[in-house]
Amino acid sequence: MEPREAARLLTQTQADARRSLDFRAPWVSLVAAAVALIGFGIVWLNVRDQHPFTGPSAASLVFFYGLIALRIATVIYAYARARTGVSGRSVNVQRDEAVVMSGVLLVCYLALIGIANSGSHGAGFYWSLFLNGTLIALAAVWAGRCAIHKNWHEAALTVPVALIAALAAIAGPRGMWLVNGVGLCVLLLANAAIGKWQRRATRTYTVRTGA
Amino acid sequence: MTAEALDPLIHVPVRLQIMAALATLPEGDHLSFKRLQDMLELTPGNLITHLRKLEEAGYLETSKTGSGPASRTSVALTYDGRHALDIYATTLRRLLHAV
Repeated sequence: MEPREAARLLTQTQADARRSLDFRAPWVSLVAAAVALIGFGIVWLNVRDQHPFTGPSAASLVFFYGLIALRIATVIYAYARARTGVSGRSVNVQRDEAVVMSGVLLVCYLALIGIANSGSHGAGFYWSLFLNGTLIALAAVWAGRCAIHKNWHEAALTVPVALIAALAAIAGPRGMWLVNGVGLCVLLLANAAIGKWQRRATRTYTVRTGA
Repeated sequence: MTAEALDPLIHVPVRLQIMAALATLPEGDHLSFKRLQDMLELTPGNLITHLRKLEEAGYLETSKTGSGPASRTSVALTYDGRHALDIYATTLRRLLHAV
């Protein structure tokens, strides 16, 4: 085997293996972008003309959480498909991380329900806290997780998520659904495009470059 | 420097593919025989032959869980295996730069 052929084979095999084992495929981000835009968009359409703001209707919330369930299902499917046959330390770590994230989400919801029951603010305040507070808490926990793994690409992604949620909080109880929907959609589309570009770049990488 | 400087055990297409694919896993992870076979599109007999050679050299380790038809064989690169692949890639790079 010629060295050039060996280099091509080494690079190609590693790129294919990484692609095959990574569940964060661009299509997963595309589904998430669609879920963000449609889910938040439907609630925004429902609340945009409310004066005073009373909160989203039960039907729009069922639709919203249905789409979030779809998003979770696609991640689980992509993960199961990509990680079939893989065992060992990283699998255990990822399982523990999923438990921690679910725990954080549960604590957030319980705390926010507690605040809502004990306070005397308007519905807008609680919905803003509920939605944007959860997004910021999740972004902060995920940023910590990425920093531990030195995954700076994903860590960088959590900063705009927190910023979008903060901007949404400023936009008020009606506008926040639109800001979150459009902001997260654009961010996830950009992430899908970067992922696609990285996969293409890996394909054309050669050992000759020394990268 | 010539191609002979490359580790002859790795410098075989199928074995290079096996080493390269396993090197993408984090240390401490194993890949099932079936998944590796699917990834590299090899026949079981062909894969076993090359895995044995790499295992004898201490480049990879296999572990078997369960028994009978439900048994599962997993493979992983050893520390020596990762090191050998690093040296192989470095030598390859030098060879190509020298061309």
